[in-house]
Amino acid sequence: MSKFFLVRFSEAIVALWAITVIVFALTHLSGSPVDALLPDDATPEQAQMLIEEWGLDRPLLVQYFTFLGNVLQGDFGDSLKWRGQTAMGVVLDHLPATLQLGSFAVLIGVVVAVPLGVLAAARKNSAIDTSANVLALLGQSIPNFWLGIILVWLFGVTLGWLPTSGRGGFSHMILPAIAMSWFQIAALTRLTRSAMLDVLDAEYIKLARIKGLGERAVVWKHALRNAAIVPLTYFGVLAGSILTGSVVIETVFAWPGIGWLAIEAIRGRDYPVVQSVVVVFAVIYILANLLVDLLYAYVDPRIRR
Amino acid sequence: MAHHALNLSARLAGSTAIGVMALALLTAASDAAAVERVTIVMDPSAAQTNRAWATGGAFDLDAVYQRLIGNDPETGEYDSSGLAESWEANEDFTTWIFRLKPEAEWHNDWGPVTSADVAHSYEIQTGPDTLATGVASLRGGTAEIIDDHTISFHFDEPKMDFDFANAGRGSMYIYSKAQFDAEGVEGYDNEPAGTGHFRFVEREPGRVLLETVQDHWSGTTPDFNELELRFTLEPATKLAMLLSGEADISVIPRELLGDATGSGMEVVTSEQPSKQVVVMPDGLYMKEGDPAFNPGLPWTDVRIREAMNRALNRDEIVEALYDGEAEPLVRYGMHETHEGYVPELAERFEAEYGFDPERATQLLEEAGYPDAFEEPVIPIVSTVSPGSPEYPTMAELIQVYFDSVGFQTEIIEMDWASLGALGRGREAYVIHPVQNAPIRPSNVALTNTFLEEGSTYHGYEDDALTAIVEKMAATIDPKAREDLMREAFTYAFENYTDMPMVSLHHPVAVNPEAIVTWQYPGVTSNGLSHWHLIDTVE
Repeated sequence: MSKFFLVRFSEAIVALWAITVIVFALTHLSGSPVDALLPDDATPEQAQMLIEEWGLDRPLLVQYFTFLGNVLQGDFGDSLKWRGQTAMGVVLDHLPATLQLGSFAVLIGVVVAVPLGVLAAARKNSAIDTSANVLALLGQSIPNFWLGIILVWLFGVTLGWLPTSGRGGFSHMILPAIAMSWFQIAALTRLTRSAMLDVLDAEYIKLARIKGLGERAVVWKHALRNAAIVPLTYFGVLAGSILTGSVVIETVFAWPGIGWLAIEAIRGRDYPVVQSVVVVFAVIYILANLLVDLLYAYVDPRIRR
Repeated sequence: MAHHALNLSARLAGSTAIGVMALALLTAASDAAAVERVTIVMDPSAAQTNRAWATGGAFDLDAVYQRLIGNDPETGEYDSSGLAESWEANEDFTTWIFRLKPEAEWHNDWGPVTSADVAHSYEIQTGPDTLATGVASLRGGTAEIIDDHTISFHFDEPKMDFDFANAGRGSMYIYSKAQFDAEGVEGYDNEPAGTGHFRFVEREPGRVLLETVQDHWSGTTPDFNELELRFTLEPATKLAMLLSGEADISVIPRELLGDATGSGMEVVTSEQPSKQVVVMPDGLYMKEGDPAFNPGLPWTDVRIREAMNRALNRDEIVEALYDGEAEPLVRYGMHETHEGYVPELAERFEAEYGFDPERATQLLEEAGYPDAFEEPVIPIVSTVSPGSPEYPTMAELIQVYFDSVGFQTEIIEMDWASLGALGRGREAYVIHPVQNAPIRPSNVALTNTFLEEGSTYHGYEDDALTAIVEKMAATIDPKAREDLMREAFTYAFENYTDMPMVSLHHPVAVNPEAIVTWQYPGVTSNGLSHWHLIDTVE
């Protein structure tokens, strides 16, 4: 297990390093921050002063290693848009909002999708199964930004039941979390259903039934426990899609998390904040996948070999 | 009798009780109906910070801070609603003297506004780290404190637009020196004190909350207690916030205003046009010996520039892009309320700029287009500038009109900052829309547009026009300046230096159940100001 952990951990470190290269390269390919930050009537001297101040006149390799050294210390420099704050400080200010919304979205996804997938499999070809399939189809084909706007208009404007946007009490979380979890519900339902169908056909389940075990115990205890490993592997992807989904959903719902922050930083070419957001996204994503790999290996010893 | 008396007393008491109850109910109803907090939803500022001087555009605290010079809410002209009760320049505009209002006070008990505050503000806002737009109009002076409420600025050269730099469009907010001395710049970050009608309460991601200063030193107090600014990028969400009652005022794109009014909302617009939009044939660095001059560009030929103008059906463009809600623009930078206005140009516009595709085709033939030019394809930039979401559609419309008269065109997608970088590098050999927002004084507009040291988004330079504008900039005599401005505008008109499109007022959608009206002139960068004049429903 420790060898497995070391291999996976090394892979995660390499992935993170690759991300720093990509982030650095992309932000420099998209133009100079000086162009975005200087006013229209800035003098060439002002531009030069900023270029020197930010070290943009140094060779790219030097800039990269300076960047990498700072990243290792969590120092991405000062924000260019949120003046007076460090880039990482700005990201950490916004991170709780995303974690709050993301956690709630995951909770909704699990609470809805797993039972639905189990019921659809247990009652194959029934009305529940058909409904689950339709829901899954809709979930995977409806773009979440569109769904978000529809939810805002239906529940926020027409019915007036929930706030349209912003971060406040629990009620503010409901619509964005539904929009964010919509795709997850679809994917997780399908995964759970197919995993359960495989398991329900297994010999040991048939044996359990022959032995006279109740159907409820067969499905929810024995079958689900064995089928759960498949959806479990999906949680790494889920964490990633929650983060990337947050960019769109937080923009639509004006939810001030790091997805919203990413868009704002890109608009203002606040490179330090953009870099911080991407690296934080990457760290969360890689950690989530590492955790899933380890859990998977723990649950299924064959993986470790 | 006693019975009657008792009866009367009882009835009187009853009536009085009913009256008191009714009065209480009415009062309660009145209190319930009064607007406690006004919420405005708008796009996030380009920068979200209390250090406005360190950014190119941070307007979140425009209701907190004040400038020396105010603007009339109706005409937009300079007035004494700022911190200075009067100001004047000497004969050659090398010295400006401001007399401060002695009654002006800082929020949070930082004391009265003094000349030291102004000198301090000038120092931090003209320092080397300042990125504020228009700072060039401020720099180069020395502040001299004459007494607590009188301060002068001395310049080596005439500074004709120093009043502009200190009014609504200018970047010079006045900050408290006492707060800075006591708390440093962190004081401005955490609890910035201003002098405006609203006091800073808190800033959260996506939101700024201000509270009304009761008994404001100016003598006017808004009729609501709190002003909340919420920042949302998605237009549909901004409209939804208005319609659901979460916002009272929404700064939404023009194309959504119809949806707002269709749902019972109302539209309030700035009293004056807040911006002019033109399409700029950029990269015309035509001064003698300029190494950036590119003779291969078709639009170096004035006939090509006239053909471009003739190809455009402006009525259709206004209808398509602005629902017909825009005024025709005759000359970029020129406005009838400003110096140097040439009314004859408006009369000549239809004859010389009007839609005439046949004439456009004929001009192309006369100019030998496309064979006579090394780079005949016209690159039209599709870009988005803050506050102008219509630019990409405008680029496509221009392409259609150009193609129809015989131009070869291509659309180039480019972000606004990259376009600025091209201009800064003097290689902006493209056609693109640009705006004059707010409409600057003529002298500022002319120097900004036609001089090499002006805005990077403008690229028409030739020796004759440069000479006129430079002479105007150095001329002190008002009559001579006016004549030179007229000469410059006429020259630009006759040389088709750009493609004038529209003059626009700044609209916002309001909920009539909360907002009666809001009078603002449209003289600031984002078009909004005079927050204390938001009139709420009683």
